[in-house]
Amino acid sequence: MTFAIQVENLCKQYGNQQAVKGISFKVEQGSLFAFLGANGAGKSTTIEILCTLLKKSSGTVNINGHTLDACNDNAEIRKSIGVVFQQSLLDERLTVQENILHRGKTYGLSKKQLTDNYQFVSTHLHLADIEKRKYGTLSGGQKRRADIARALIHRPNILFLDEPTTGLDPQTRQFVWQAIKQLQLETNMTVFLTTHYMEEAAVAHQVIVLKEGEIVAEGTPDELKTKYAYDSMALVFHNSSEGIQWLKDNAISYTEKLGIFSIQVESTLNALTLLKDAEPLIASFEVIKGTMDDVFLHIMAEGGAA
Amino acid sequence: MEALFSLVKRNNKVFRRDKTQVFYSLLSVIIVIVLYAVFLQKMQVNAIEEVTKATPALVTMVNEWIVAGLLSMTAVSTTLAAYGIAVRDLESKAQADFLTAPISRATIQFSYVLNAFFIGCIFSFIALIGCEIFIVSTGGELLSFGDFLKVVGLLFLSVLLGSVFNLFLVLLANSQHSFSTLSTIVGTALGFLCGVYVPVGALPSFAQNLIMYFPISHTTLLLRNAFMESSISKVFEGAPALQVEEYKKMYGIVYDLHGNILSTSTSIIIIVVTIIMLAILSFFFFKKKNK
Repeated sequence: MTFAIQVENLCKQYGNQQAVKGISFKVEQGSLFAFLGANGAGKSTTIEILCTLLKKSSGTVNINGHTLDACNDNAEIRKSIGVVFQQSLLDERLTVQENILHRGKTYGLSKKQLTDNYQFVSTHLHLADIEKRKYGTLSGGQKRRADIARALIHRPNILFLDEPTTGLDPQTRQFVWQAIKQLQLETNMTVFLTTHYMEEAAVAHQVIVLKEGEIVAEGTPDELKTKYAYDSMALVFHNSSEGIQWLKDNAISYTEKLGIFSIQVESTLNALTLLKDAEPLIASFEVIKGTMDDVFLHIMAEGGAA
Repeated sequence: MEALFSLVKRNNKVFRRDKTQVFYSLLSVIIVIVLYAVFLQKMQVNAIEEVTKATPALVTMVNEWIVAGLLSMTAVSTTLAAYGIAVRDLESKAQADFLTAPISRATIQFSYVLNAFFIGCIFSFIALIGCEIFIVSTGGELLSFGDFLKVVGLLFLSVLLGSVFNLFLVLLANSQHSFSTLSTIVGTALGFLCGVYVPVGALPSFAQNLIMYFPISHTTLLLRNAFMESSISKVFEGAPALQVEEYKKMYGIVYDLHGNILSTSTSIIIIVVTIIMLAILSFFFFKKKNK
């Protein structure tokens, strides 16, 4: 297994305040890695350290085989990473193409490489219709396409996405994710994502949840859902009294609202067993899968066990 | 190197396409032009008419006096405005975006300095052409080729001084708000400190000393010398040497510092030493700021 990022006991201290408290994790090459946490959990600090923008207080970080802060390694790290920041940072008065090419030239690419790379990102992010337009005149979704293209102009191995879809409409979010996944598939690029949209984290290969500078949970989305979320079932009975009796007989705790009974189930298979048993009583039902939202809320409320 | 040039090009485009920024960079110069058109010229012509006869050369001489002041102010105000991009990049985190590329903070900072220098050179050269057209259209003569080269050289020096002077100031500004406050102060003070709004000789002695110790005013002084040499000799033809010297002291064409008339070479040394000192100070300040 090859790791694109390896972090060991990373700490960051601001005066007396410890923003990151000795976190360790590994990110597999070519994977989608979700880095979650509430505001102020230390996500941005960690990302800024990984992107060489901020000095760590202690710990070791290895990115694409280069040790952070070691002699000349930061420049090599920068060549291998692309960053999409939370805010739009390109120049409003320059066209999309000018923005991307000016920044592309800072990577020391040859003219041909730059032209080829531009063609690549332009095709994948559908820039043809906006490349001659000034960045300041674009919609939020168009700006994000340009931001991602800028981050990819040097064809990095790792793409850092800091809340890339915040404020975008669902259609644009879908487009952005399709483009990222397509690029990841074609180039085996590692994607390091922070997001507040849990459904985006749900498709990650690995998830880490940070709370007050510490990792409080980590695993695959399925592992986390198993541990911190639960599936539930909504039931409507032909006769509510009979339904309640059945629930009591089977020692199933429930909540009821407007004749809809909600019960917790261990898994969807367990739901099937219950449904078979209560089939004559049931008028309608819905099995609701546990979500990453449940995971996040559970961990934030009670803390996890990494 | 290509990274540096690309950043300079980017800074340049960003500045030029912001028309408001361009306008504000020339605001102090525009104010001087208006003041000159409204009363400064008339005041000066009237004052000189009292000691020598009025000739067309007199108006040309006064025009050249103001032109020299305008050009030295342009070199400072446009370079300062060009640094606005640095402050904006810092505040908007655009600098962080550049820093994810394999370039150093020093390269990014140097790109702002080079851009300020280029902007200053371009605007100063355009202003010089405009000023020459103004002088010729009001009855004056074009600068001789030699004087033109001398003026271009002085403008180059003025822009260089303006670039490092403003670099030092801009390193103190961390937000757009502090930068606009700084720009307002510099824009307002510049006209006085270069002896453009009010002739040096009309000010109290402490203010005169302040101006004479202000390095940028020496670029104004040198430009006045380069522009006015020929017209002064025409206007004051046959006048006593003392009278000419009094006029030159009054209007900041020569500096009388503690009884000594400063030579051209002294002014150039003051400017060059200031450039070197400010560049060194800025370097250490930049290093400290980004430790």
